[in-house]
Amino acid sequence: MPRKTFTVVLLLALALAVPAMAAEEIKIGVLYPLTGGAAAEGKELRDGAELAVEIANNVKADVDMAMAKNGGIKSLGGAKIKLVIQDHQGNPQLGADLAKKLIQDDKVVGLLGAYHSAVTKTVASVAERYGVPMINDSSTSPALTKEGLKWFWRTTPHDTTFTNDLFVFLEGLTQGKVKGVKAVDKKELLPAVSACEKTEWGSNVDAAIKELGKASGFDPQVSLLYAAKAPDLSSEVQSLLAPKPGTMLFAGYGADAILMIKTLKSMKAKPKVIWGQDAGFESPEFVSTLGDDVEGIITRTVFSPRVGEVKKVSKQVNDMYKAKTGRDLSGASARSFTGTQAWVYVLEKAGSTKPEAIQKAANEIKIDPSELIVPWKGIKFATTGSDIGQNELGTGLIGQYQKGKDGKMTLEIVYPFDLATAGMIYPIKGW
Amino acid sequence: MPDAIGGHGPPYRFHRSRRATMEDSLTQIAKAVVSGLMMGMVFGLVALGLTIIWGVMDIVNFAHGEFLMIGMYCGFLTATGLHVDPLFGLPVAAVVGFLLGLACYYGLVRFLLRGPMVAQLFGTFGLMLFLRNVALMVMGANPRGLHQGILVGKSFIVGPGIIIELTKLAAGGLSLAAFAATWWLMNRTKMGKALTATALDAQAARYMGVPTEKMNALAWGLGGGTVGVAGALLVNFWPVDPNVGLLFTMIAFTTVALGGFGSIPGAAVAGLIVGLMINVAPIWDALSTCLGIECLRGGQLHEFKYSFVYLAFFLITVFKPRGLFGWKY
Amino acid sequence: MEVLKRAFDFSDFPKVDLWVAGAVAVFLLAFPALPHSSLAMATMIQFLMFSVYGMGWNTIGGYGGQVDLGEAQYVGIGAYTTAVMMIRWDVPFWVSLPVGMALAICWSFIIGYPLFRLKGHYFAIATIATSLILKDLFESWSFIGGARGLKIPLKGDMPNFLYIQFRQDYYYYFIMLAFFFLGILYLNWFRHSRIGFQLRCIRDNEEVARSLGISAHWAKIKAYATATAFVAAVGSFHACYNFNIEPEDTMSLDLSVLIALMAMLGGAGSLWGPILGAAIMVPMKNYLGAWLGARAGLVGIDLIIYSTIIMLVAAFEPRGVWGLITRLRQRRRV
Repeated sequence: MPRKTFTVVLLLALALAVPAMAAEEIKIGVLYPLTGGAAAEGKELRDGAELAVEIANNVKADVDMAMAKNGGIKSLGGAKIKLVIQDHQGNPQLGADLAKKLIQDDKVVGLLGAYHSAVTKTVASVAERYGVPMINDSSTSPALTKEGLKWFWRTTPHDTTFTNDLFVFLEGLTQGKVKGVKAVDKKELLPAVSACEKTEWGSNVDAAIKELGKASGFDPQVSLLYAAKAPDLSSEVQSLLAPKPGTMLFAGYGADAILMIKTLKSMKAKPKVIWGQDAGFESPEFVSTLGDDVEGIITRTVFSPRVGEVKKVSKQVNDMYKAKTGRDLSGASARSFTGTQAWVYVLEKAGSTKPEAIQKAANEIKIDPSELIVPWKGIKFATTGSDIGQNELGTGLIGQYQKGKDGKMTLEIVYPFDLATAGMIYPIKGW
Repeated sequence: MPDAIGGHGPPYRFHRSRRATMEDSLTQIAKAVVSGLMMGMVFGLVALGLTIIWGVMDIVNFAHGEFLMIGMYCGFLTATGLHVDPLFGLPVAAVVGFLLGLACYYGLVRFLLRGPMVAQLFGTFGLMLFLRNVALMVMGANPRGLHQGILVGKSFIVGPGIIIELTKLAAGGLSLAAFAATWWLMNRTKMGKALTATALDAQAARYMGVPTEKMNALAWGLGGGTVGVAGALLVNFWPVDPNVGLLFTMIAFTTVALGGFGSIPGAAVAGLIVGLMINVAPIWDALSTCLGIECLRGGQLHEFKYSFVYLAFFLITVFKPRGLFGWKY
Repeated sequence: MEVLKRAFDFSDFPKVDLWVAGAVAVFLLAFPALPHSSLAMATMIQFLMFSVYGMGWNTIGGYGGQVDLGEAQYVGIGAYTTAVMMIRWDVPFWVSLPVGMALAICWSFIIGYPLFRLKGHYFAIATIATSLILKDLFESWSFIGGARGLKIPLKGDMPNFLYIQFRQDYYYYFIMLAFFFLGILYLNWFRHSRIGFQLRCIRDNEEVARSLGISAHWAKIKAYATATAFVAAVGSFHACYNFNIEPEDTMSLDLSVLIALMAMLGGAGSLWGPILGAAIMVPMKNYLGAWLGARAGLVGIDLIIYSTIIMLVAAFEPRGVWGLITRLRQRRRV
């Protein structure tokens, strides 16, 4: 049997290289974009992961989590987690090379990362080839879990879930389910248009929008793919604005999301709804660069500081994060925190650093929702069906940028309808 | 996986009368054409420096786009560093560009002229990489854009909805001014005539007492200065990052090839054409909506907008190397 | 056979050169047995790849005298042919390799015929133009995955020689080493062959060559075809080594530039030049990068160093490092 042979070989190799039980330090290889167009998100991801490690390695009485009660991994003799962080700069090739280096030279026990779906794709390839477990905390392209990989697990929900949320939300808008807004005539929201960046992530979002939108009548009349590094989007925006759209849907990373909104502004766009599929639309740079222009834009997200009002543990961790970095947790940092947390719990359950033990633990683990800072139903990875390795219990949120009483722009939750923290601004002000 | 939402009746179709569609489409086409022409004026200015150097010295400056990039950074830094309006960046970029051109000539190009043509190519090529990576090291890879200024982000509407962005309009206007100034310089001043003489026949010019060495340096300085100004104008609406040079190098080469190497009015006209070329996608979208043609829609043309420029370069140099107004090939 | 005799005929090189070459060959064969880090192995494989890229480039850029800055499009053709055939039709690597090379040669004829009417700078820029156009086409073509690229799945157990999928890098190393040696032998034959002779004449003085009845146009086209075949072969390997390809990574202008740069630095127009260039630049690139780490302040320093060297080389010794060595030797003889 093929799998047995290479796991035996790997066992031998690891047995020679790393004394499995007595490890004082458990190294996890982390790949994030610390420079390049998504550097701001990379920093958030790094901060979230490091905070999780700090809580895991030390006893923190003021955080109501299982991992805060122990210093290190109890089942491994109190061994501490050490993150070996590498910067892939958004380059899939570099990501794969760094992953190989982490596995072969740094002898990490597993991998975490990598944000850009295109990079996660190549890193997962490497992990699968070497039989090294990888947990993906932050990449949402649905294709990543459709290949039946045996060494890949994903904690974050993926874009099919999120895009579905979008259309449920838009439908709800026409039915008056959205807090603060009377039922909107569907005619006002049409036609819909979309523009997505064209690599792994964006093109999958584009496909999801077209497919899921069809059933509810919101499929885009114009749907474009563009290069995230494009310096000029005016011709794209011209085509988008030509049919006088009511709803504009976007999927872009940092710099291009900002450029898109700026171009919309200079072309005096006046849609009713602008929606972004997270990523660039949630980055701190987005708000700081565009200032008041972001008001009214809605974005898919996974976390908002508002969740802290409903979940105690979220507030506790957010306070710690804010004390350390001066910012609130965002979708990026919350997910990297959760992904690192998943690693800790999986290692705790596995009781060993051997790959098959980790694999078994990951396939069997179930993390209770009360342990998580994100408002999910828990973490349990699918082992059957079409989405192997995907966390089945994740959910998304949709937030809208609104200016608070203190003049600061915050993300208010508008979906799920029953979790809404503020009335939605409708329609968007436009320019 | 959760199901997609069940349908609530037939999908809504947006109805419009045929006449309204025609008007809309014509407005769209007008918008796209105006937008293309405005960009085209800036492209013309970018190409101006290249055509001067090429005309005078028959050396190709591969680093032309990088000179533009440096001009853009100058404009950006002046505006953000000194907290003044971006327009003040123009003279700064012009001076920096001029000095940069001179420095490149005396520091590198002078030596390249002695060698084989292949060496000239490698040389300016190396210069291109050098400038690009120094910028990468100093400024980082993140694109920087200008977000504040008298003109930034503002636009006004002309006619039935044609939007004119102030930054692009100013860029276009100032480009025309720069063109006029350069034309006056080349044709009405003694120095300009000396430059033209060197371009026509360097040997003969030398016999007539024209200091050709200094003329070469001047050509580089002038080329660098004009493209620096173009950069400072461009940065008002086009974000700058170390790799922005390549696209503009290709655009500049195509513009110069189309207009004719060494021809200043050629560069202006060709720039406009190239500007339109880049806007083909929305023009086609509007045209096809108007005429009811369904093919090639769905945004595919947008992905090729720069490819049209590259293709144009290829076709022009192979089939019509003189370009429109060229006297030199 | 005549061909083999020519291929192995290194007699016109000084004996010293041959001893050094022999020592290097022994080192290359023995390398995997020496203790090495994964970075060192990756560096060696990249060195071999860029040597073969450079050897191919040299055919048109060195012997042919026309600087080509668009070789990356052929890397793409080779890589994508292999990847698509492997993913869709389960075709083994060794079958898709010649198919990729054939496609590359076809494309080189299609664009080469008009392209070689240009000279010098115009040619160089036109090659950039065609490379970028092809890249744009690949990015929008959904049959081959568009901008998302392609991922080659594991085809069963490793080591797999049919599809060249291995867990340990040294298998890849030896395959590339075989390409490397074959490449050198081919180029050596090329040098002694009629087409090589024709190219040298054209490079020395095209007018005279033409007057002797040599068709410069066709000679260059043939040289170009050779170059593209080399490059496509390594491209096919690249697809299997990396398992993931996308246009941005396999067909970017940066890659074209690197290929040309290494060959130019080492010495275009000589047999050992491209190998020297790759030997200098690839380790510097990797180790400078690894040594400086992800310190954002020094990103791109390796390219700054190379570009400075290139400028110096262009200004003072256009025949590259090899040219420098030759010049020093001549001086010593006198």
